Amino acid sequence: MHIAEGFLPPAHAVAWGVASAPFVVHGVRSLTREVREHPESTLLLGASGAFTFVLSALKLPSVTGSCSHPTGTGLGAILFRPPIMAVLGTITLLFQALLLAHGGLTTLGANVFSMAIVGPWAGYAVYTLLRRSNAPLMVAVFSGAFVADLSTYCVTSVQLALAFPDPGSGFLGALGKFGSIFAVTQVPLAVSEGLLTVLVMRLLVQSSKGELTRLGVLLAKKQSRTETETEAVAR
Amino acid sequence: MLPIDAAAHSSRWRRRHPVDKAVLGLGLTVLAISLPPWPGAALVLLTALVVLLGPAGVPGRRLWRAYRVPLGFCVTGAVTLLVQVGGPGGFVSLADDGPLRAGELLLRTSAASLGVLLFAFTTPMSDLLPRLVRAGVPAPVVDVALVTYRMSFLLLDSVRRIREAQAARLGHTGRGAQWRSLAGLGATAFVRAFDRATRLQAGLAGRGYDGTLRVLVPEARVSARFTAASCALLAALAVLTLVLERPLT
Repeated sequence: MHIAEGFLPPAHAVAWGVASAPFVVHGVRSLTREVREHPESTLLLGASGAFTFVLSALKLPSVTGSCSHPTGTGLGAILFRPPIMAVLGTITLLFQALLLAHGGLTTLGANVFSMAIVGPWAGYAVYTLLRRSNAPLMVAVFSGAFVADLSTYCVTSVQLALAFPDPGSGFLGALGKFGSIFAVTQVPLAVSEGLLTVLVMRLLVQSSKGELTRLGVLLAKKQSRTETETEAVAR
Repeated sequence: MLPIDAAAHSSRWRRRHPVDKAVLGLGLTVLAISLPPWPGAALVLLTALVVLLGPAGVPGRRLWRAYRVPLGFCVTGAVTLLVQVGGPGGFVSLADDGPLRAGELLLRTSAASLGVLLFAFTTPMSDLLPRLVRAGVPAPVVDVALVTYRMSFLLLDSVRRIREAQAARLGHTGRGAQWRSLAGLGATAFVRAFDRATRLQAGLAGRGYDGTLRVLVPEARVSARFTAASCALLAALAVLTLVLERPLT
């Protein structure tokens, strides 16, 4: 899913970098403000970055029988919000480029745009929409992770199609070509990532309620029920 | 520690300033994508290989292990250029200039990857990150990146141990068990990351933590000679490409 080093022509590499910059700058401002107000957040955010990095190193069994790794963008966006994910995603992609030779520095802007911006925002939008329409938490989590994963690949297809238009049918032909290759492998992977994210979230709800409440994932509904229960006991 | 970072810590150029290595390594990468692939990227590829295996002293086997990852992506990506959609040849047919475009792309990506690998194999992340503040990256972002970097190894180690424990308890025998184990692994990584952050915070608070992580960075100076030699090499490559382009095309 990462566009490899040197894969994009210089003009495209620069253009995607410029497109990503406002989102990353916005994320950096949010993060800086958060850290200045709560210095202890540095450690929590660092831990979140490490978690995102490790998540992308997990091997994911695919429905097609192959093996891949989750993007982690959906879970990251649900847990830490998209602006923070833009920064954490950029840090993770930089580490992947330099420590794992996965992705690249000239393609960092393009990869950030697909994996740290569009994926988290699309996934988070679907998650929030479903939560506001009172959908169960796990349905919203699955949909968020599925959409985040799939939108990442759709944007990557667009980026590749723009860089390498088909000689016969131009941009649309290339989009179909790259999109169909990704569709075969990535739709099952997006389903797999959605299922994995639901399983992870179910375990987290059981074991880390405090952290999830602090991150704002568990809604006030959950808290108010607890409060109602407390009140009932008190009465 | 990850293999590339481990190699960087024991590199011959470890004591060199990251700027020296960035000028050479990232300069080669920029040249690889900006010069015509033939003969430009081919020359860059050759130069990067010679520098990596020669003066930088990167062991060939380690380099190959790291290099085959991006190389695999390059080959897979280049294959798609061999076919075209629509046109007189039918819905899907072989593109006329497909092999040429695929070859050029392969040359460009493989040369550019070697440039980045030259930088990565000689510059430990712990030398690079604290210096990013001077490059204009806000200090809180660098601090978060530093914590991320240091915590990643601990978490990766935890994940490896958990996976071994799951395998020992037959957690990978069936598809269902595999999914349950994977979900447990992800959730445990999250819990451990947060638990570690909380304990680290308590420890630092006891030492008067004010929100800034101060780390010792090994002393190094930018070498004018090394940087000038790198710039000369890059300029020579660019000139050689322009001279050879016409006769070789």
